[in-house]
Amino acid sequence: MTSDEDLLTFAGNPIEYFGHSRLAMHTLAPRRLAELQLAALKLRFAALRDRIPILRTLAEEQGIDEIRSLDDAAPLLFPHTVYKSYPARLLVDNRFDRLTTWLSRLVTVDLSGLDTTGCASIDGWLDLIDASTELRLAHSSGTTGTMSFIPHSAVEYDRLYEIVRLDVIPDRDPEGVDVVWPSFRSGRSGIARHATAMAEQIAGHPDRFHTLHPGLLSADVMFLAGRLRAAAARGELDRVEISPAMRQRRAEFEDALHATGRGMGEFVERLADTLRGRRVASLSTWDVFHGMAGAGAARGLRELFAPDSVVFPGGGSKAGVLPDDWARGVAGFFGVPQLQLVYAMVEVISLNLLCENAGYHLEPWLIFYLLDPGTGLPLPRTGTRTGRAAFLDLTAEIHWGGFVSGDEVTVTWDPCPCGRTTPRLGTRIGRFGGTRGDDKITCAATTEALGEALEFLNGALV
Amino acid sequence: MPAPLIPAFVRGELRTAGPVESAAGFAAPDPLGLLDTLPLRDPARMAELQSVPLTEIIDLLGEVGARLSVPDNPFLAEALDQLAAYSDLTPALLRSTYRQLPSLFEPGLVRSVAERTVGTRFLDGWADVGAGAVRAFGSRCVHIIAGNNPIIAAITIVRSAITRCDTIIKSPSNDPLTALAIARTIAETAPGHPLTRHLSVVYWKGGDERFERALYHPAQVEKIVAWGGLASVQHVTRYIRPGLELVPLDPKLSATVIGAQAFADAASMAATARLAAADVGVLNQEGCFNARVIYVVTGTGPAGVALANRWGQLLYDAVQALPEQVSTPARRFDPDLRADLRVLRADTDFYRVIGGRADEGAVVVSQLPDPVDFHQTLSGRVANVVPVDDVADAVRAMNAYTQTVGVYPESLKRQLRDTAPLYGAQRLVSLGYATRFRADLPQDAMEPTRRMVKWIVDETYHPELTHPLEHLRPGSGRREADQEAEVAR
Repeated sequence: MTSDEDLLTFAGNPIEYFGHSRLAMHTLAPRRLAELQLAALKLRFAALRDRIPILRTLAEEQGIDEIRSLDDAAPLLFPHTVYKSYPARLLVDNRFDRLTTWLSRLVTVDLSGLDTTGCASIDGWLDLIDASTELRLAHSSGTTGTMSFIPHSAVEYDRLYEIVRLDVIPDRDPEGVDVVWPSFRSGRSGIARHATAMAEQIAGHPDRFHTLHPGLLSADVMFLAGRLRAAAARGELDRVEISPAMRQRRAEFEDALHATGRGMGEFVERLADTLRGRRVASLSTWDVFHGMAGAGAARGLRELFAPDSVVFPGGGSKAGVLPDDWARGVAGFFGVPQLQLVYAMVEVISLNLLCENAGYHLEPWLIFYLLDPGTGLPLPRTGTRTGRAAFLDLTAEIHWGGFVSGDEVTVTWDPCPCGRTTPRLGTRIGRFGGTRGDDKITCAATTEALGEALEFLNGALV
Repeated sequence: MPAPLIPAFVRGELRTAGPVESAAGFAAPDPLGLLDTLPLRDPARMAELQSVPLTEIIDLLGEVGARLSVPDNPFLAEALDQLAAYSDLTPALLRSTYRQLPSLFEPGLVRSVAERTVGTRFLDGWADVGAGAVRAFGSRCVHIIAGNNPIIAAITIVRSAITRCDTIIKSPSNDPLTALAIARTIAETAPGHPLTRHLSVVYWKGGDERFERALYHPAQVEKIVAWGGLASVQHVTRYIRPGLELVPLDPKLSATVIGAQAFADAASMAATARLAAADVGVLNQEGCFNARVIYVVTGTGPAGVALANRWGQLLYDAVQALPEQVSTPARRFDPDLRADLRVLRADTDFYRVIGGRADEGAVVVSQLPDPVDFHQTLSGRVANVVPVDDVADAVRAMNAYTQTVGVYPESLKRQLRDTAPLYGAQRLVSLGYATRFRADLPQDAMEPTRRMVKWIVDETYHPELTHPLEHLRPGSGRREADQEAEVAR
């Protein structure tokens, strides 16, 4: 038997539970892992059921009072729309009081005292929440004209990067390593949230955190970008109004536009001047890394860093956008023998690493569900099967970690030739729901959307 | 068990060789093997079809229609029996739509379709237009039809016959049977008739590049009429060039606007809820003309929202009361929509969800004047009632993707018909009648039947009346036209 305390450690602080060993995390006997997950799930459900109103209502609707098997929780996995189930009008009208009430149904955090009176922008609201609560909301790219807000906590990001440290700084060097961050220094989009944790835990010092742009990736600009894009698709561009508050930020937008455009060339030159030959760590999406390698190639920059650098590309790519050999180009630019691909999503705080047998191994604190795409019901946890990926993140303490993704994946439950015993996903990952408007919550399309919005804004503000 | 084989119908012949299994679960002959006779490569062979008098076509269609009753027609009975395996409609609904088929071929209706959509005088030879003549020739046409409603197959066949087109129908995977069964009935009614010899019904997987590249060439096909919008049009557009025209019938969504009068008293509320229920529920909301977002001018204050909630309950009850042959719970309720409804139900600030627990359909009443974020995916008899202060708020929500707008009362429709089209609305219809389809009227803001024909012009001049360079002199056009017209008379 495992004590409740042990289970809480497993679920809440896996790094301690597994004795700081990546190997230990991925070599539990599958049956043992399932037992641990079920026990932890029972604890989490009991603790969160009555503290998260949406979870409680869902459980009541489904008549679920207790969890007896992992599949019992399948009807409680949230659809992605739960994080944007408020009318988009609230953002346009700056109704952050009502948005806060909406948010309070998704989390255990008491938000009743949050005074949103002065909030005149999404950035302002997120600032306020960051400053006065333990919540760290991650927002989506907003490509369909609405914006999801996914609740996480500061602790979750910290713990994630403690684990990343194990991969990047195996000798636990307190000095840290230089981090190459080909994006804005700060922000609250899914990937931008990683910036803070990475700067603190991997770089260790602000001077070792090297960014494309020193400023903020604005949620307001991304929301406006999404609205403009959606309006343009409907032929309604003329009906989008740009608020005076946004108009006043024109200089900021022009600067940001420069960064997303020509800025990458200047960035790689700067990196070549200051970090050539050094060991670095870097995390971004495939398309950003591809663009970075392209900017490097245009300047004759290759094999820029030490071969034991760690490069984490994640987020997939839109079909056909990247050439098949993009990874070779990126590895050649960084000068590493190979990239460390990760499977990650904003809703689930983890970076699931690709093994040498081309499987993304799922971290043990994620309960994986493969759902039948037609019925939404869980498929058996055996063999190799294809379906819709869903997760229950046991580390989630202030929100409910159950989430149904839009990803079509192939999972293999049997132990991997690489030695790991955790379930693994194949590298062919598709998307469900072409007709539903794809608001994939990664940042794959972010740069482009941002560039478009900035161009439009700058044009409109002349 | 082997997949059931669905033959191809090529110019009156059934073809079954080289069956290939489709993702939908049936087998159909490899389309590449049909290329020998499927496209009409020799345009001269259109002549036999052009010379058939319209009366003969209308009479023949009438005869076919009389044979389209399921009990007496083994082709149709077999199609109906098998169709349930592929369609999103329930067997009860398929039966009731099949019962509509004969009426679509009724001679009076067909003549009126020919008259209103093209003009019979242009169809039956050269029509005098003063100093010249115009004739509507049939073209070589591929129809990529939709399968959400079996009557689309019938409408396509009627339009093709009256325009004397050489017709290749690409069956959809969700209805690979109806067009085939009608075509077989035509072949049996009129074996060897030009109409039979110029009709083919084939299934192939949309986007099959080897086959489509061989088929779509201006020397064989002049028009492609594509239902189903972006998904079906996307891979066709690459073949479009001068000489090969695309007639797109995009999938659209519809809106409903209900004026304040509907909420004046209990009787009006109940009556309008029953009418709106027909727009929501008929054919299980599978059509683009079905109501999804319903704007109600109740006001957006607490009293208005309470009114909208009450009306939403009436609407839900009325949808549930629709008879089985008209509307049923969905065959496959969208699991994403089910999850969305659960979420909204858990959060009562912004939305009120009525029903939906058993996939039977639901009404979501917005408590703020905005539709749900997922309004484009409403299906399985799920409607979204949105209270607004002013009709103008509803009109502003319309765009190029708005097909039908169901309106109550009539006075409001007369007011809206001059403004809603500016925003993109294409059809205004009395509340309760959105799901009627009139083949004799324009569709999607254009006239597809008119575009299926080739409008050929014959102009006549006489050198003794009109000098060949006369038209280059200022002010000469009118006089010369008058003279030539005089002679023509």
